[in-house]
Amino acid sequence: MSKTFDRYASLLFLVLGAAFLIGSQNISASAYGSNVGPNIFPLGLGALLVLLSLRLFYETFKYKQEEKKQGPALDYKRFLIILVAALLYVLLLEEIGYVVSTFLFLLVGFQTMSKGKWLSTLLISGAFSFGIYFLYVNVLDGSLPGLPAWLGF
Amino acid sequence: MDAFHYLLNGFATALQWQNIIFAFVGVLIGTVVGVLPGIGPISGVALLIPVTASLTGGLPPEEAATSAIILLAGVYYGAMYGGSTTSILLNTPGESSSVVTVLDGYPMAKQGRAGVALAIAAIGSFVAGIVSLVGLVFLAEPLSDVALKLSPADEFSLMILGLCALSGLAGKSVTKALIMTVFGLLLATIGMDNVSGVARFTFDMPELYSGLEFLTIAVGVFALGEVFKTILERDANEGEIAKISRILPTKQDLKESAGPIIRGSLVGFFKGIVPGSGATLASFLAYLLEKKISKNPEKFGKGAIAGVAAPESANNAASGGAMIPLLTLGIPGTGTTAVLMGALIMYNVQPGPLLFDEHPTIAWGLIASMFIGNLMLLILNMPLVKVFAKLIETPPKYLIPMIVAISIFGVYAVRVSVFDLVLLLICGVVGYFLAKNDFPMAPLVLGLVLGPMIENNLRRALTTSNGDFSIFIEKPVSLVFLIIAVLWISVPLIMKMRGKKVVVNVEG
Repeated sequence: MSKTFDRYASLLFLVLGAAFLIGSQNISASAYGSNVGPNIFPLGLGALLVLLSLRLFYETFKYKQEEKKQGPALDYKRFLIILVAALLYVLLLEEIGYVVSTFLFLLVGFQTMSKGKWLSTLLISGAFSFGIYFLYVNVLDGSLPGLPAWLGF
Repeated sequence: MDAFHYLLNGFATALQWQNIIFAFVGVLIGTVVGVLPGIGPISGVALLIPVTASLTGGLPPEEAATSAIILLAGVYYGAMYGGSTTSILLNTPGESSSVVTVLDGYPMAKQGRAGVALAIAAIGSFVAGIVSLVGLVFLAEPLSDVALKLSPADEFSLMILGLCALSGLAGKSVTKALIMTVFGLLLATIGMDNVSGVARFTFDMPELYSGLEFLTIAVGVFALGEVFKTILERDANEGEIAKISRILPTKQDLKESAGPIIRGSLVGFFKGIVPGSGATLASFLAYLLEKKISKNPEKFGKGAIAGVAAPESANNAASGGAMIPLLTLGIPGTGTTAVLMGALIMYNVQPGPLLFDEHPTIAWGLIASMFIGNLMLLILNMPLVKVFAKLIETPPKYLIPMIVAISIFGVYAVRVSVFDLVLLLICGVVGYFLAKNDFPMAPLVLGLVLGPMIENNLRRALTTSNGDFSIFIEKPVSLVFLIIAVLWISVPLIMKMRGKKVVVNVEG
């Protein structure tokens, strides 16, 4: 258990709970002659979330001084590269089409996980992106963004 | 019509050729998911929802829902078979419910009895699967008949009980589990209100009017969350994979494991019915029970066959037992059944007491297909266990980016929106960091799934009582549910305060 993380998390949930609480003030308090409106559920839950996060905040003060156990260092570099690649992938998906974006994402992903073996990287990325596209669009009649128009197909 | 007759009709559904294929694909993928480290039953099921949605796209709605749920349930119990493989061969459990199997499974493998251990695990899982299904057949009708008589207030309290049961046992901190539950319920309120049509918390964003999609959040927090964990923590498999020589167990082995298999099945089944306990706890309990009643308990931990047979039977029986509250009451007891429920709702099928009346094809077709699926698993796992063992060596280099790509494909195929894809990535990152700090994800997803129903029942009950909250404690059935719910949360807390160790559920 990390004291700092839990403390920040409890504050974040406190803010979220308060936001729902305040937000539900603007929702109608009655519906069709019933005095039970769509506001009551989020109102109660928001209040509950505020109480629970206060409780968690209070609990963090009782945590025993954690001994710094040095686990294996987290591999943030690898994680960030893949996360950014995935973000670009989803943002560009509709622009450059499914096959191209998936191919590029897998290329980056495979090489970030471990470098080398370019031939199998290219083969697997190609087979996966074309395979899924073909199966989904041609066999199952689904729809995915196709190849970009500027490629001339 | 009695249960037997319904079951026969169920078999007629389950034996249609496409459903046999769906069951087969389900259990096959389930076994693979169980074997592959870094992807558990819950993320396997979540990942496959969009895939099944596109596969069943051309079928009429009722048949589509039947086939889809047959496949998804197959993944669930198939993973219970597969999870034992890595426990025994590699000393690392493939998923949390096989943690105990490591204790005796790996020593057996080191003694050159890996094949026998795997075979006993498969046989035990099969027997347990059948035991829990028979229980399901007999309990389903009476339980859903009782559930039909519940008033909105009773149903509200029953769902609160379900949420408390899962939160009370999920993870190390009850406070955190409750926070996740309430947060899940709050997320469920985003979008158009079903009753009054008022938009809530949408900030005029068109994407939010239909609410946050359950599928996106489930795939994000479970599948992507696990992937990010593997990337960040270098969850690599090291160590030697034990060789499999002889597979068929001897008569002596069978004799020694018959008792543990039966006892494990029963423990697992009853544990599975109780919401919140799940397969992991069931396997722990079955193992402890065997150790307690064994004539020579010192053999446990050194390769006792009972130590493999009992927990493996228990976790499979529990996954069958967990289907009971899901199908009859509409209350999922574990994270995976919550995801299954979300899948059913996506097909406009509401699990719960009405399921057996309104959609008997789905309910009984599923139950019958589980008989067939378990038989397939036994056949798959005995001769092909060597093939599955090879899967352990799949390099994460290719596996991890492909899981990300499949998640993105799946969500896009169902939602066709970039908004959902961005939400998916956010859920993955947030899910990883929260889960790493002991904020359990299962209650969040359960809250998200149950939210609309809880709210509906709450408002119906309050409307009849003119806004008076005392209706929930004046109705005796509702009061009983609420008392149990409070006990469920408070008893483990009190036990913890007294310094007793409470076994918690670690199943995502």
